[in-house]
Amino acid sequence: MRVLTHCLSFGKPRSLIGLWLGLTGLLTAIALLSLLYGAGDVGPARAWQALQNLGTAASYDSEARFVTAELRAPRLWIGLVVGAALGIAGALLQAVTRNPLAEPGLLGVSAGAAFAVTLAILWGADAATLRVSVAQLGALGGCLCVLAAARLQGIGNDPVRLILAGAILSGLLHSLSSLILLYDQYTADEIRFWVVGSLAGRQLDDLVPLFPSLAVAALLTVILARPLAALALGEHVAIGLGHHPRIVRLLVIVVVALLVGGATAAAGPIAFVGLVVPFAARALAGPDIRRTLWLCLPLGPIVVVSADIVSRLVVPPSELPLGVLTALIGAPVLIGVVRGRRLPTL
Amino acid sequence: MTQEAFISTSADHDSAPDIATQGLSLAYGNVSVIEELELRLPGGQVTAIVGPNGCGKSTLLSGMSRLLKPRAGTVLLDGADIQRLPSRQLAKRLALLPQQPHAPEALTVAELVRFGRHPHQSWLRQWSPEDKRGVDEALELTGLTTLAERPVDALSGGQRQRAWIAMAIAQQTSTLLLDEPTSALDLGHQVEVYELIRSLTTTGKTIVMVIHDLIGACRYADHLIAMHQGRILAEGPPHETVTTDLVRRLYGVDCTLMTDPATGAPLLTNVRRTRDALDGSAT
Amino acid sequence: MTSPIDAPSSVRQDKYYLALPLGQRSPLRVIVDKRNLLVNLLLLGLLILLAGISLNTGSAASLSLPATLRALFGEGDPLDIFVIRDLRLPRVVAGIATGGAFALAGCLMQTVARNRLATPGIVGLDNGATAFAVASVVGTGISLAPPAMALTGAAVAAALTFGLTGRIGVRGYRFLVAGIGVGAVFGAITQLMLTRVSIDAANAAYPWTVGSLNARPDHAVLSLSLALLPALLAGIWLTRSLTVLRLSDAVAIGLGIAAGRCRMAALSVAVILPGLAVAVAGPVGMVALIGPEFARQLSARNTVPVLGATLAGAVVMVAADLLGRVLLAPIEIPVGIVTALIGSPLLLWILLNPNARTTP
Repeated sequence: MRVLTHCLSFGKPRSLIGLWLGLTGLLTAIALLSLLYGAGDVGPARAWQALQNLGTAASYDSEARFVTAELRAPRLWIGLVVGAALGIAGALLQAVTRNPLAEPGLLGVSAGAAFAVTLAILWGADAATLRVSVAQLGALGGCLCVLAAARLQGIGNDPVRLILAGAILSGLLHSLSSLILLYDQYTADEIRFWVVGSLAGRQLDDLVPLFPSLAVAALLTVILARPLAALALGEHVAIGLGHHPRIVRLLVIVVVALLVGGATAAAGPIAFVGLVVPFAARALAGPDIRRTLWLCLPLGPIVVVSADIVSRLVVPPSELPLGVLTALIGAPVLIGVVRGRRLPTL
Repeated sequence: MTQEAFISTSADHDSAPDIATQGLSLAYGNVSVIEELELRLPGGQVTAIVGPNGCGKSTLLSGMSRLLKPRAGTVLLDGADIQRLPSRQLAKRLALLPQQPHAPEALTVAELVRFGRHPHQSWLRQWSPEDKRGVDEALELTGLTTLAERPVDALSGGQRQRAWIAMAIAQQTSTLLLDEPTSALDLGHQVEVYELIRSLTTTGKTIVMVIHDLIGACRYADHLIAMHQGRILAEGPPHETVTTDLVRRLYGVDCTLMTDPATGAPLLTNVRRTRDALDGSAT
Repeated sequence: MTSPIDAPSSVRQDKYYLALPLGQRSPLRVIVDKRNLLVNLLLLGLLILLAGISLNTGSAASLSLPATLRALFGEGDPLDIFVIRDLRLPRVVAGIATGGAFALAGCLMQTVARNRLATPGIVGLDNGATAFAVASVVGTGISLAPPAMALTGAAVAAALTFGLTGRIGVRGYRFLVAGIGVGAVFGAITQLMLTRVSIDAANAAYPWTVGSLNARPDHAVLSLSLALLPALLAGIWLTRSLTVLRLSDAVAIGLGIAAGRCRMAALSVAVILPGLAVAVAGPVGMVALIGPEFARQLSARNTVPVLGATLAGAVVMVAADLLGRVLLAPIEIPVGIVTALIGSPLLLWILLNPNARTTP
């Protein structure tokens, strides 16, 4: 793992802007690939043609146009938003719990959101807007559980125990959801594809209800970045520098809930993105939370969109759920971090 | 009465076993700690192994008790290679008290001491009159009979260490290895444990202890082994072995050496850092 | 043929029996803890009672208790006999065997790891076994029988988790998190296989992913039952060494116990049993936590309740299955969900309660 970190960091932290531009370029290329490749019949050549002719009204290949503009493009947009939201949420949660393993999916935040949505559908809610706020409320519940557990004596100092508690909470909520699904066939049908965590079959319209809360979250993140960096030096230092750790912590939790709830409402629970992305960002830019957050912005979408491309290409003509792929990528990273002689402190 | 019975079950003074190492090399992973060590410990006496932190004294004890498999060489208990003895046979001849062992909650003293009978028992023979005698004697010898039903973790530090020593006594071995039996104790409890260890030699046991406390070693051991960087700098009776030069080479400190008027043991006073040691190297 | 133990005056005689099956001069002298004896008899009684209720409960025409018993022994109405002996009895037997197997494995693993949370499920064994079993059901070209596959899966997961974190229990909780990671990988692989195959094959494999006594292939029940008895005997045989191994490796070795061999033996049992049990009922891993915990609360402290945990696991499994069938009838809640709903809060309590002991 140290070798990996070393390779990624090239010795010294370099200019943030250069890194950021490089990653954004990489993201653009991946985004383009995501439009060109897919599980269906429309190959890269036809998709490229369709993209070039997108502006002109007349198109000779209506199938390719439909596939790229109506199927792949919404997917790409959702992947971009979900990736950025999960990556930043992971970085924030790790900073606020000072735990390099804190990941919304592992800690039960995503499970809280998913459980809330299951309940909402059971009780007859099906408006997309409602689903977003319900998911965010559920995520907030999960976050508060995490925060309460983290502040318990003994747990707060042991990153690994917190993860265990989160995994158990996730398991509990998952069982409760399964119970509801058994009980109610309608809910089960409604939700079966959503609980897996995937970008397939989502509409651009699903994204619209997210924007107000994501805007709030973005604004708060910008404001909170400085106090969070101070908090990394310890609670007393932060107070000495004139910050209010309690308020900062609470606001960060709200932001995480907004981001994770929103992402979960759009794409279902997707685990491990919030672990892998900040991990890579820290390896590239060092431990400062402000630099980490900037890099999470392109890195999150890079991970999610490329995982989505792979999920389409591995077993054509069917697709893998995205959550499966992120687990396959993320679990080894988790094991690697745990295996390290000393857990990195935040 | 019980004391006598106990002696009769243990080895006699004359035939008290000795421990020797031949070309012993010990290592943790790739880190070699001790190389080619030749050592002979006298039977029926208290031997103290002293030395600065990281000198390999605890490693040596681990090697002698088979916790650590030697990379090369052998440890001989009365001429027999301990690596070749079946584990239970070895446990009947050699008892070990590890450094600061931890008892599970609510384990009583009697239950702990009963564990000492383990090598003498089998699944089909879990309790015998000899077991009863062994436990009774160990409790009496350590003065814990009245505390037998107390949980171990409710005892004072000295009593707790005595309970662990009682477990090792109940094992009825002729050799007893102790890893820093006094390191976590205050002065009163240290003396309590030292005097218990001293009293055990009257039963003919060979006792080897690793300790930090050079003064305690001088006072209570018959034989001293001074180790530094995996090698033996000096060995012999404390009053012949301990010199100001040895103390300087071991710990990098100067001292004035006196003879304790009460016991005749060497006494270190006026301990201060050696000038040369300020440069870094202790040797 | 027992007599009060002739222990030292200070060892309380009211706590133990000394069993001397062949009289005072018997070479066979076994200490029996009075409390554990009582607890085991109690659990056995409870198990028989629950098994009876379970046999008597079902969606088919309700039978009176005497009629159930008669049918069990092959008398009375042929239809009743069919319902009891061919439908309900195998389910109860499968419940007892899987519950006992999971709990015995859990008890051994917790003791060896010196951690109450170290159950086969947490360490990723259940998911590994499930992934391999599903692979053989959905037909990925590997044609071993599901029990053999599940066994292989459990072994692979165990090797991964323990191999990746070094020796078990040495680094506190870390190997548990590594286990969660390994479990997540196998969980993902299971999902991957289920999405690749037709709906029918996926439906066939579904009970295995939640844990249910519905599928219970006969040959899998048979191989589990055949393994459980020797495993239980091995566990009881290991109890003496494990009791000492609980203290510390150094103390155990000093007392003449081959610590490494003992640990390997206990761990092998703790890997084989869940593997075989998953092939019967899917990942009902929470029983491996609840059973030993239940037994430990009842049993004398500072003992390793191997038999008690096995019985308690069987009790929990049969009770959870019964509950799952009755609670939302006619909908059946899979036993895996029932046990998870009971077990997760228990796990959280152990983990988060600052006063709770974490060593078994």
